[in-house]
Amino acid sequence: MTPTSLTVNWPVLADALSVGLILLDSKGRLLHWNAWISRHSGIALDQAQGLDLEQIFPQDLPLPFRHAVRNALQRRMPIVLSNVLHRSPLPLFSRHEHRAGNLRIPQSVTITPVPQPNAPHLCLIQVTDISVLAKRERVLQTRTDKLSREALVDGLTGVYNRKYFDQKLRLELERAQRGQAPLSLIMLDVDSFKAYNDTYGHPAGDRVLITIADAAREQLNRSTDVLARYGGEEFAAVLPASDKLGAQVMAEKIRRAVEALAIPHTASTVGPHVTVSLGVACHDTRQHCTAVELLELADRALYDAKRNGRNQVRWVLSGAAPLDTFPSTLR
Amino acid sequence: MIALTDLQTDALAEVFNVGAGQAAASLSEIVGDEVLLSVPRIAFYPRNALNANVLALQGDRIGAVRQDFSGPFSINASLLFTEDKALEIVREMIGSQVSVDDLVDFEHEAMCELGNIILNACMSAVANMLDIELDSTLPEYSVDHMDTVINELTGDLGQPVVLVLHIDLTIEKRETDGCLVFLLSSASFHELIAAIDRFLGRI
Repeated sequence: MTPTSLTVNWPVLADALSVGLILLDSKGRLLHWNAWISRHSGIALDQAQGLDLEQIFPQDLPLPFRHAVRNALQRRMPIVLSNVLHRSPLPLFSRHEHRAGNLRIPQSVTITPVPQPNAPHLCLIQVTDISVLAKRERVLQTRTDKLSREALVDGLTGVYNRKYFDQKLRLELERAQRGQAPLSLIMLDVDSFKAYNDTYGHPAGDRVLITIADAAREQLNRSTDVLARYGGEEFAAVLPASDKLGAQVMAEKIRRAVEALAIPHTASTVGPHVTVSLGVACHDTRQHCTAVELLELADRALYDAKRNGRNQVRWVLSGAAPLDTFPSTLR
Repeated sequence: MIALTDLQTDALAEVFNVGAGQAAASLSEIVGDEVLLSVPRIAFYPRNALNANVLALQGDRIGAVRQDFSGPFSINASLLFTEDKALEIVREMIGSQVSVDDLVDFEHEAMCELGNIILNACMSAVANMLDIELDSTLPEYSVDHMDTVINELTGDLGQPVVLVLHIDLTIEKRETDGCLVFLLSSASFHELIAAIDRFLGRI
């Protein structure tokens, strides 16, 4: 059959489509809709013909949709209604039982003028059911989230990894400097960890790291605080909006929490149990410092805590303030 | 710059502000809160003078909604925002209606609609004032580097005239700026000017 001899039966074709087609005259009255619309609206074409959409669906059409149709008829320009801003403008249902709960099909709507020779324009409304699309996007998004989470999280302990921490520290420091707000950084190192591994074996060492990460995470109670595994047995935490005192108190709470775990460590140079040393650095709002500088300061404080006998907190303020133990009076 | 009389410029600026007002009303209905849209300044440029400074958009990646209008004259119209701001706008618009989990990748769709509303309203106002009829294609949204966007805008030698409108959009009290870029052929430009003059003659 050549194309010229092919007679297309458009109404039949339209009924075969799996999108909704609604054709209005220039006054907004229904001329035709296809079987898809009849099926999902539960209204037969001949019951609706000649009526406008507000008569066909009284009280069911949202204002933006009604105005979009009115604009399309008046201005004769094409209009898109995105699903994200309109969800389900028309009362269309994939199953009859969804009617009771008003569980409408999620829709994406396009309204286009249809020019007529020597006659006023008609208006075509195309309705696409996007529920499959929405579901697929949600699945993909969930997978993407999972992958991005995995790329940012330390596989052993479940806290963030160093890559994420470095980014976060830089961002939070910039934010703190912009807002003249304090920010503190805690570095934590497990005391005599090599000796622990040598004595109890690496699997036991891994369990200690997991337990310590959990204990530290439990102490950090603000959602903005970020804890990360920074290296082998080294952890770091950034505490936005925490000043020197707040960070010292937090570091001391973590130290005590680890001590309270009372994990036996016969090879420790500190005592009978696993302990940690902590260094605290605080960004001085009056003085600019970089993330690298702040990390170095915290590292210096940590080193000092180690040299001074371990199982303690020491701190330093950016701007070369003196090192000090904390809490000096309590210990 | 292509010279228009003050009267012609004022007339055109007024028309676009009428369109912006209508677009703001439509957007308010969708957002459920006050939306303000104004066109503080408009200017014509020759095609080769269009650059990042003229557009005054701070950012490397630009989101553009484009519709092509045709009638007595043709205009390729684009609404441009920096990508960051486009995302901000969409988030503000979606706000309470959709949770962040559902937001997924619908920004493109929402930007398409936003651009569609603004471009249709502006061009309808132009058509009304000039008493002409314009047809339009459906809106298309794309995100690209500033240079690529400018190259595409200025790539058509047949459209040597560029009309740039800076716009201020305020949604949920947050202000964003962007711009509308209209590309015209010389013939279309002269048609537009003639139509403005006819309009000015009528009032």
